[in-house]
Amino acid sequence: MFQQFELASGVKLFVRPTEQFKTINISFKWKQSLTVEKAAVRAVLANILQFNNEVYPTNVAFRKRLDDLYGAVLYFDTTKKGSHHIFSLNAETVNDAYLSNEKIVDEVFSLLHTVIFKPNLVNGKFDESVVKREKEQVIERIQSMYDDKTRYAQQRLLENIRPNSPASITSNGTVETVKAITNDQLIDMHHDLLTKDDLSIYIVGDVNVQEIKEKMQSHFSFADRTDNIEKAVDTPDERNNKEFLHEIQDMKQGKLHIAYQTPITFFSEEFPVMQLTNGILGGFSHSKIFMNVREKESMAYYASSSYSSLYGLIFVLAGIDSNLQEKAVALIDEQLKAMQAGEISDLELNQTKSMLTNQLKEALDSARAQIEIYDQYKELSASFTVEDWVEKWMNVTKEDIQQMALTIEKEFVYFLSGKEGATNE
Amino acid sequence: MNKEYFKQLDETLYKETLSNGLDVYILPKKGFSKTFVTFTTKYGSIDREFIPLGKDEPVVVPDGIAHFLEHKMFEKEEGDVFQKFSEKGASANAFTSFTRTAYLFSSTDHVLDNTKTLLDFVQQPYFTEQTVEKEKGIIGQEITMYDDQPDWRLYFGTIENMYKEHPVKIDIAGTIDTISHITAEHLYECYNTFYHPSNMVLFVVGAVNPEEMMDFLKADQAAKTFEEPEEIKRFYPEEQKAVDLKERTLQMDVQKPKVLFGIKASNTDISGDEMLNYELAMQIAIELVFGRSSAFYQEIYENGWIDESYSADFSMEQGYGFTMIGSDTVNPTELNDKIKETIKSYASNWNVEDEDLQRIVRKKIGFFLRALNSIEYIANQFTRYSFNDMNLFDVVPALEKLTMDQVKSAFLSLADEDAHTVFTILPFEKNND
Repeated sequence: MFQQFELASGVKLFVRPTEQFKTINISFKWKQSLTVEKAAVRAVLANILQFNNEVYPTNVAFRKRLDDLYGAVLYFDTTKKGSHHIFSLNAETVNDAYLSNEKIVDEVFSLLHTVIFKPNLVNGKFDESVVKREKEQVIERIQSMYDDKTRYAQQRLLENIRPNSPASITSNGTVETVKAITNDQLIDMHHDLLTKDDLSIYIVGDVNVQEIKEKMQSHFSFADRTDNIEKAVDTPDERNNKEFLHEIQDMKQGKLHIAYQTPITFFSEEFPVMQLTNGILGGFSHSKIFMNVREKESMAYYASSSYSSLYGLIFVLAGIDSNLQEKAVALIDEQLKAMQAGEISDLELNQTKSMLTNQLKEALDSARAQIEIYDQYKELSASFTVEDWVEKWMNVTKEDIQQMALTIEKEFVYFLSGKEGATNE
Repeated sequence: MNKEYFKQLDETLYKETLSNGLDVYILPKKGFSKTFVTFTTKYGSIDREFIPLGKDEPVVVPDGIAHFLEHKMFEKEEGDVFQKFSEKGASANAFTSFTRTAYLFSSTDHVLDNTKTLLDFVQQPYFTEQTVEKEKGIIGQEITMYDDQPDWRLYFGTIENMYKEHPVKIDIAGTIDTISHITAEHLYECYNTFYHPSNMVLFVVGAVNPEEMMDFLKADQAAKTFEEPEEIKRFYPEEQKAVDLKERTLQMDVQKPKVLFGIKASNTDISGDEMLNYELAMQIAIELVFGRSSAFYQEIYENGWIDESYSADFSMEQGYGFTMIGSDTVNPTELNDKIKETIKSYASNWNVEDEDLQRIVRKKIGFFLRALNSIEYIANQFTRYSFNDMNLFDVVPALEKLTMDQVKSAFLSLADEDAHTVFTILPFEKNND
């Protein structure tokens, strides 16, 4: 999918030239292993670098510059992937071809250089008032999760099944770890970005590969990296032996979140088979969970499953009447049991193959999705193509699916509901 | 088939109105893998009072029926339409807004088969009392889900404050009570009135051969029979200029207050170029005064009065419209006062330089060019524009022609304090247990 170049040891450039888009997308991804303390420092650092820099020392000057460049998009973000924390800088700029007599692309590259290499430092430190406020912003972002009941319930489930482990650590850290951050830690982390972190740079758009490679080499001089980062897969060392938790908030709907574990991960030979297995269980609107919980029993508006392959976890989510928790869990259990007993139709298997194929091919219509998919799948093979991957699904049989279903084990049921909700004590 | 090339955007649009009145647009996009097709009726939640096809007297139908109808279109005598789309690898969906109901799919293969499925399921209704009853549980859970979303409550609460009579104040999905009164007969009545091809637009975008697709669509529509098109008579109540309620507060289980400052639009009975220019002028004015590069934004951000949830937008359709500015904030009062003060100050002294305007116009052009990478954006927005007699591809030339006077006069319409309202969501007072 992408042409690959090494700019320095541990610093790779991936370019995909295409006329498909009217813009050029650029993404820098700095990876290091995920801990809650580091996640907090990186989240705050992202906000600080987003606020100002040496060339544009006020936020308004920086914003106006972006507006002037035809509203160039430029933002820092923090995410996680398995046991890795990813600090990213994403940019999107209009291709000069669509503007008369403008040279925007070069200007955007120069701005990218500024935001990475020239932070706004005073005596080698970030401005304390900026640090204080951006810490507060990240704290507010963490706290706002409480208002989104689905995200909150999912986070509570994760904290219960995988405490103190990458599966439950968020990419923003926690309120306590953010509060504890010092200016020096932020400076050190910025230094890590420039010299230590594994770095992948992606460029998608109507670009000349040779030119863009030279531009990157001349604009950006990243140091060689000496440490190799370990695989992103996470095997937990701490487990909770509880199986059910019901929590109460002042709300109307019941949020049912069930976790299942499986030894099959992204790096397993059987990974493509597990993708199909999850698809049949609850990935689509033809799937067993949707057809039974929603269409047959009218119990839910949303009811689906998702496979978190780097953690070996499958989640089932449904929004239900708070009195129907036990009935819903029993019905969902039945769907998995049916698959374990081999009750899988040709129709379900073919539909799921078609839908997964379409999903992956469709992703090629977004530059950002091309970057995200390749960033993940290149861990399996640098020569990854969508066509090769689709091929892996085609020969999977019902028996293969049944074998996969047998590896899936229910681990925990989390239920968040209003006061009049179910009692299961 | 009419063909139009938009040079600046490098896009070619094909258009034809079929003999049954259906407007078809096809936009091929080079390099794309998927094809996205939307089939949209100009019928939404605000269309609650109308004269049904073939009748003389207006009726008022239960709230939430357009959305209910959208759900029920997917169920047929032989089963669920999603099953059929899945077999051909198409992801299908639908949505209902205040003014539109859209059915859509995207697929990278079997595009004509999937288009056939889309046309057939939308053009062959099947409602029974039993299937209607079954849906009430599912939609009940959908309504309950939205009830628990503070941002949705904030948005709708603000609209309810603004409008006294206009049905835009009614939640698109209705309530559990209003949908309990919906019958199969109601659904047929709404369907027959609003799903005539002459009230609909079909938009095809992405990997598509325009001639082949157009021939296929023509043959399909020619083989189906439709009533003669009739003009649909819809009724909307008179709405006062002032807001209905100046202020309202709701308590929910949230961690921090949320506030939305709403300004009811005064000039909404427009369409075509007039609407395009007004809408763009208003959006540019809001961005100039309340956007992220404004002095206002910098001050409230540095004061800690807003967080990342901050937004300032203008949106409208024929008959209603509003500006909304708000954020999660621990200082709702200070934020509201500052918004009011800023409106007053710019209304009395329009302190905006030409270069500021040019900067925001460039930003908006950049946004638009980025959006044209998304075939979903193109299909949905193009349809909205065409229902309002505007053309999406006129946006860039219209922006380039926009004058400071247009932007200033749009902004001045925000100054009427009778059109201002505030909705606040507050956390429950916590006990110490």
